[in-house]
Amino acid sequence: MKVYHQTGFRHNWNIDSFQQHVGDGLIYSPINIDADKLLHLDVSVKQTGFLDPQLYLLNEAKGNLPTYPYFPGNIKPDYATPDLDTSHLQLAQLCVDFQLQNSFEYIVIPTRYYADNPTSYFLQSSDYFVLPFCDYLKEKGIQKKILLSVIVKGIMLTDDERRNEALNWITGHMCIDGVYLIFEDNFTSKQIKDFDFLLNALMFIKVLKDNGMEVHLGYNNTEAILYSIAMPDSVSIGSYENLRSFGIKRFQDLENGPMRGPRARLYSSQLFQWMDYQYIDAMSKLVEHYENYFDESEYRPLMFTPDYNWQFQKPEPYKHYFYVFNRQIKSLPVSQGDRMETIKAQIKKALSLFRTIEESVLLDEDSDGSHLPTWFNVINAFQKEVSK
Amino acid sequence: MINDCKILKELPAGGQKTVHLAEHPTIGLVVIKKGAIKSFTSLERIKREVELLSELKSEYYPQQYHFNIDIKTKEFEIVEDYIEGSTLREAMKSFTTVEQIFQLLQYITNGLSIIWERNIVHRDLKPENIIIRKSGMPCIIDLGIARFLDLESLTKTISPMGPCTPIYAAPEQLTNNKNIIDHRTDFFGLGIISLELFLGVHPFDPTYLENHFSIVENILQNKFLLETKQVKRDERMAELASKTLQTQPFERFRNHQLLQSFIQKHLQK
Repeated sequence: MKVYHQTGFRHNWNIDSFQQHVGDGLIYSPINIDADKLLHLDVSVKQTGFLDPQLYLLNEAKGNLPTYPYFPGNIKPDYATPDLDTSHLQLAQLCVDFQLQNSFEYIVIPTRYYADNPTSYFLQSSDYFVLPFCDYLKEKGIQKKILLSVIVKGIMLTDDERRNEALNWITGHMCIDGVYLIFEDNFTSKQIKDFDFLLNALMFIKVLKDNGMEVHLGYNNTEAILYSIAMPDSVSIGSYENLRSFGIKRFQDLENGPMRGPRARLYSSQLFQWMDYQYIDAMSKLVEHYENYFDESEYRPLMFTPDYNWQFQKPEPYKHYFYVFNRQIKSLPVSQGDRMETIKAQIKKALSLFRTIEESVLLDEDSDGSHLPTWFNVINAFQKEVSK
Repeated sequence: MINDCKILKELPAGGQKTVHLAEHPTIGLVVIKKGAIKSFTSLERIKREVELLSELKSEYYPQQYHFNIDIKTKEFEIVEDYIEGSTLREAMKSFTTVEQIFQLLQYITNGLSIIWERNIVHRDLKPENIIIRKSGMPCIIDLGIARFLDLESLTKTISPMGPCTPIYAAPEQLTNNKNIIDHRTDFFGLGIISLELFLGVHPFDPTYLENHFSIVENILQNKFLLETKQVKRDERMAELASKTLQTQPFERFRNHQLLQSFIQKHLQK
């Protein structure tokens, strides 16, 4: 299973990390990087990754999107949905050509985002994106693998009819090799703790894998470990929270950085948890060998010095996460059965570690591993489904 | 061209058309089809079928020689190859072992992959629409209701059922869920035909399922036979059924390459 860097603001951190052999490639974000700059990046940081074309809102000129040749506003000012009728072929050609110019590993077909998908959503997506992209690639004789972007909305996981409609549509295109799959995250908590959501997400991935498709998961937080039991082809690592959870806000507001300064956190692979640094501070005073709860990396010595000024603009906690999480994913067993058993055992161990920590330091619900019992139950439920 | 042909005999035909066996001085035996154009939709369907067959030029499909529409009489006429052989319905007894069935299935899917690759779905696969030539090779006929996925649908959305032969139709045809009609719809028909060859009876037949539903109702409820009192279950056929006869297309083979490699794998054993 591969690990891709989900890039955004501070994509340099990801590129640095990738160049230090962390992760298998990068997913580029047009709103955050100028098209010309991307074009001039060394091919070595592009050839194992792909571009997220980000036409979610079609013609919203956010960030650097207007610098891209396929950006609809560059085809026609005030470009709107009806214009797709006449220019979808041109848009497809420009988008494919740009991706080819950059020598990415995959060609990605974009998708639109709606708060509530219209009834014609899938038909329109086929007509405006899938078919023109596939036809153009066939016409050009391109052999690269094609990924279809899909945003999975909550209702596609909970409502059978909507789920079947989505799965029939995704699997019905013979020309595509796989999907760039994004689960929309409307939860308010930092970790997803909804049993049905997580189990249905796993089943969704499983169906696509059963269909012989490549499944690349975007915008993953630590759930990537849980999703790994459905055997996707890749998961993602991202720095800020808006790269570890998909919300359309990221494409609506001009974000040259996080909108507000999040509290600095550090990821622990033993705890499956991003831990608020204030608790780490408390642990340093109250928990014996507190540092053993956190992973080794080249960034750790610096972060654990007393005068380290924890704040979200510092690269160390994020580069540490890339390194640690990538290693954690890569250490998972290859076989599905072993992977499920291993993660369950690790969850039990993490819960036991939390019990020890909370003998001295009480944690809030965003740091206390309270998602782990749900994870454990979801794995059991998925195991039961797989064995049917 | 029709004037050059000598009518030999009338052949059985479905619907409103007449079909004659005739002899052309240079081509030899041909079939002449004539019928009324009842609506714009039927005209469009005929035109699409004729255009497709004239482009295909494959032994898996009949060769088309002539097509004409008489505006005054609102009739069409088609001259095409006469395929010597028997329908699969008539030749069913020649395909009873799993090996024979898989071999036939391989030929048929090779033929169908030509139209699937062009985003066309046959939608009316049944033993009557497959002619087994004397050489043993199948010829697929009657693309009259084929769905051209790249062209506008001709099926009325309000119809309770889409165009099909109901007892060989996939659930999405029976419920007229035309948005999910694709090549996997044909996989369902192939699944029924294969099991019918194997079992000697229609796999959704209520007589053998011992229920009181019709074949169509059994298709909609996904109730089918994998064995009868006379024929024991075969795992290869069961696996084929599990990947073709599912209610939801996403539970069937995703594409013809996967179906073909499945067939190939079992033929090699």
